[in-house]
Amino acid sequence: MDNADIALALTALACLLLRSAGVWLAGGLGGDHPVIAWATAIAQATLAAFVMLAIIAPSGALADVPLAARLFGLGVGVAVCLGFGRNLLPALLVGVAAMLALRAILAGVA
Amino acid sequence: MGSVTSSRGAALFGARDAVGAAGVAMAATFLAFGAAVREAGLSPGWALLACWAIYGMPGQLVLVQAASTGFIGGILPAVMGAIAVNARFLPMAIAITPLFGVAERKRLIPAIPFIAVTPWAAAMRAFPEIAASVRLSWFLGFGLTSWVVAGFAALAGFYVAGMLDDHARAALLFVNPLYYALLLAADLDKPAPRRAILCGAAAAGLTIILPSSMGLLAAGIIGGTAAFLWGRKRGQR
Repeated sequence: MDNADIALALTALACLLLRSAGVWLAGGLGGDHPVIAWATAIAQATLAAFVMLAIIAPSGALADVPLAARLFGLGVGVAVCLGFGRNLLPALLVGVAAMLALRAILAGVA
Repeated sequence: MGSVTSSRGAALFGARDAVGAAGVAMAATFLAFGAAVREAGLSPGWALLACWAIYGMPGQLVLVQAASTGFIGGILPAVMGAIAVNARFLPMAIAITPLFGVAERKRLIPAIPFIAVTPWAAAMRAFPEIAASVRLSWFLGFGLTSWVVAGFAALAGFYVAGMLDDHARAALLFVNPLYYALLLAADLDKPAPRRAILCGAAAAGLTIILPSSMGLLAAGIIGGTAAFLWGRKRGQR
């Protein structure tokens, strides 16, 4: 096994333990227990923070896309989602198209 | 969906739900991941195992990033970083377990590998409309389908890596956060999720002052705890 394989095996094992620990810890609690509400809030807040970072301060190829284009794609996607019955697939496609369109316009202006 | 009471029917509904917006987001993200794996000099088998055994994109990317530098900082820091960014699996598992309505914990063992952001977020949205007795079947149908989509998309990404320019890769990488943003936006009319989303977004700034591997975890814990306490103060959930 090389370094990448060892790292993969250790990470996979740890992730499995995290998931299993969560199931084991929650197994004895009712759905209205405060710990469940707290864990749900943490999970949702983590996801919101992840989205915020991925849009505002991304890494990799997405970092080359102007912030205005990323925010425009996000705004259009959310508006379509909320305006058309929370249907995710059309909102997703329109949001990506909006981001690419503004990116192309800004690249043409520059 | 609420009328479905058979396990088989619920599993099929779950599989169908997994190939909609979730499938597009999953395929795009894992396609980009497969390309990154190839650029890091790793094998297609490694890409597939990373998808199926870790099944948590931020952690997978931490390992790929470390591998691309030859693990110059050592294996353990890379593994700790990957675990930290995937630590959300713990609260997610705690939050979703009671919703399955299953008394025997061992019955949930098949569902454990699928507890990840996409199946979790989709389940939290879909479960209120699914009879408690078949939620586990729905989750297994959704989880297994998205798991397969993720693996094959990563393999496809590995083999088409050379054909993806920066524009294509940027579009693929944008799909994932946009999909999660839409899932969150769809919950904005509910008080408890709205508080968590606002507090989590506000706490994201912590990543500026903390190491990147710990920042997201800290933002989630602090933002989520603030939202929880806010809800307790208001006396509603």
